Amino acid sequence: MSGRRRAWGWVAALRSGATTPWLEWPADGSGEGESLGAELPGAQQLALLRRLNAHAAATGRTVPTATAERVLAAGVSGRGRSELALVGVADAGEPGRFGPPPVDPDALADDELLRVASALIADDIAVVATRPVPEPSLADKVRAVRRPWVRSFVVVGMPWRADAVRAELTAQGHRPGGRRPTAYLLADDLETVLVQAWTARSFDQGGASWRGFVRANAGAGHLPPRADLARMARSAAYKYGADRVRVVLDDQLLADELGVPRLGGPPRLGAHAVDLVRRVGEPLGLLVSSDARPRLLRDTLGERLDGLGGPPPTLPPRWDGWLSTQAERTRHDLAAARYPVLGDLDRLLPRPLGPEPVAPVDAEVLALALGLLLDPVTVTKEAP
Amino acid sequence: MSRRVLLHVGTPKTGTSYLQDVLHKNRARLLKQDVLYPAERFDAHFLAALDLMRLRWGGLEAEAVGAWDRLAAEVRAHDGTAIISHEILASASRSQVARALASLGHRPGGDTSDGGTEIHLILSVRDLVRQIPAEWQENVKHRARFGYGRFLELIQDPERAHRVGAWFWGVQEIPDILDRWGADIPPERVHLVTVPPSGGPPDLLWERFSTTFGLDGLDLKLTTRRANPSLGVPESALIRRINRTAARDLPPQHYRPLVRELLAHQTLSKRTKSARLGLPPDQYAWVHELTESWIAELARRGYDVVGDLEELRGAPAPAGKWVDPDHPPERQVSAAAVDAIKALLLDNAEAHAENERLRRKLEAARRELVRARTPRLMRSMEWTVQRLEGSGKGRQALEVYRKARKRVPPEES
Repeated sequence: MSGRRRAWGWVAALRSGATTPWLEWPADGSGEGESLGAELPGAQQLALLRRLNAHAAATGRTVPTATAERVLAAGVSGRGRSELALVGVADAGEPGRFGPPPVDPDALADDELLRVASALIADDIAVVATRPVPEPSLADKVRAVRRPWVRSFVVVGMPWRADAVRAELTAQGHRPGGRRPTAYLLADDLETVLVQAWTARSFDQGGASWRGFVRANAGAGHLPPRADLARMARSAAYKYGADRVRVVLDDQLLADELGVPRLGGPPRLGAHAVDLVRRVGEPLGLLVSSDARPRLLRDTLGERLDGLGGPPPTLPPRWDGWLSTQAERTRHDLAAARYPVLGDLDRLLPRPLGPEPVAPVDAEVLALALGLLLDPVTVTKEAP
Repeated sequence: MSRRVLLHVGTPKTGTSYLQDVLHKNRARLLKQDVLYPAERFDAHFLAALDLMRLRWGGLEAEAVGAWDRLAAEVRAHDGTAIISHEILASASRSQVARALASLGHRPGGDTSDGGTEIHLILSVRDLVRQIPAEWQENVKHRARFGYGRFLELIQDPERAHRVGAWFWGVQEIPDILDRWGADIPPERVHLVTVPPSGGPPDLLWERFSTTFGLDGLDLKLTTRRANPSLGVPESALIRRINRTAARDLPPQHYRPLVRELLAHQTLSKRTKSARLGLPPDQYAWVHELTESWIAELARRGYDVVGDLEELRGAPAPAGKWVDPDHPPERQVSAAAVDAIKALLLDNAEAHAENERLRRKLEAARRELVRARTPRLMRSMEWTVQRLEGSGKGRQALEVYRKARKRVPPEES
């Protein structure tokens, strides 16, 4: 019996949708197969394909052959171990005593599988980037023209939300801008503001995990620029005049003031969904320009993952004191500057803590990634 | 189509910076002699490697989009010998290697009969006795906060589960690098350049590179030197402490020029009297055992060795006291810190002076702009008032005029 032939037999079975773990694959010769290439795929790729098969089977589907091929041929993104060898493949006397030790693919951490999945999803998004952006229709153009009777205003504050609100208002004919505008600073409780800062960063730059993001800022004792509302207000006051800055803590009051039915908002991505965006952004950064990356991620993963990924993350309990102090400071700074407030400034203060802190979990992030491999962003989902 | 490609894939800390500097600065001369070194900027091959391996590198990867394919296209378009060199290529995975070789025109087994490119793989290698401390130091110069002891633990984890261990062996485990890069290249086209032991003739390594890259007899200027200077024990400890305190607050675009270049390379590397970083005495045994297995394997494979595989054994443990960078002599760290503060002060003073110069320039430009936008009549009136203010009779005349117009100068109001 040859370990290599047994491995190729398992590869062929995985390509056909099998979900049998490697260690349970027949070792009596019945599971052997012909070589399908020069090198066996890496353990990470094989483990990912098995998980993808299981994910598809759970919903009565099968993984298309082309997708299976893609997974097996994929690279591993980012730093860490490259393709790993399967345990039990090298026959006695074969070379292979150098390099990382062979592994049981089912014992690999989800994080290892996510390195492969992220690279594949990034490839899909890069394909979307090559498609021409449709020209806005005449109706869209007309809607986007600034109405002369609409008061001059701009929307600043929490970037993730402000971008979406600006887009929604523009779609309703309330394009921000005009002479001597009023600056509406979108604000919320500080934990939500921090989550949105991390979300915006994940879309724009990728990088830090939620815990790393919190630790880097809370550990250094300051708020990240995207969550520092007092600083944003000062900046708006400098640019537009202090008497033209208004703090918004109640969306409906702002909608009423602008005369629109609703303000709209960004897609609601849970902790696991944002973590997946962060991971995909990394390999995507080497496929498209850094200017194009945030928009591409918003248009693809932002839409596809809307409403998915569990609840938003919450701060680990050890940073409670820091959060309260920063929230009090923000509230004090905004109150002292006497900016008019739409809503109640106390809303800046942290909400009561939930029973358990929420943070991205690799297994959940991987489940989302598997869904995106089965239904790639290159294929537009039809509306139900 | 390139007839021949010399592909130098590592390893780090083997004189690669100097080699790449010579190649880059001589690229026009080389091209006249039919040798292409396709690099408009010094780090062009580094960016191409980031692109090939999809590696994030402190934001630099944003400049690397499509860099490998562009590099490979330039190489393919050249009819002659082309050179590619970057040490981080050593960590490429098998699939990345396959993509790289295919993009350069490689055919299975290195077959050149149907127009396939003759690829020569070059790996410069140095003993682990020097590479281990050098790699930790390189980590420290790239924002690492972990100590030397922790680094030694991470690289001895057999699973290589941590990214530090995975990276270290990815770029240092010579037989594995050659398994990945050289599996489909005939052994006679794989060239191992060994780095001579410390204290040998200073030009010996260059002579080995020159022979391997076929540069002997070519008209080159070797006056340039872009070394990657090393730090002593207290200096390394100081940078690590700076990383622990400030690296999180310092974005990569500022960390690179301030900490890595100004402090580490330009200031602290000049302190050459401090204890040098070395392998702890208790680590020599496993390093020697591993090295012996590498030497035996490499000799068995029949590669072209430029130098001597015996040089991979490295020096024996020194008789003197080993200085631990995790518990460095504090007086020496303080002295290094004072040098660092001085360098930062001077740099800051220079930046202030530059700011002041730019501020004055901006102010002058602003005045020019105001002047250009001010109507000629207004400028004539200002000129007349200035002239009149300059003489007694003029001031009297102005006073009469102002009384008549019921105006007074601002300071009297």
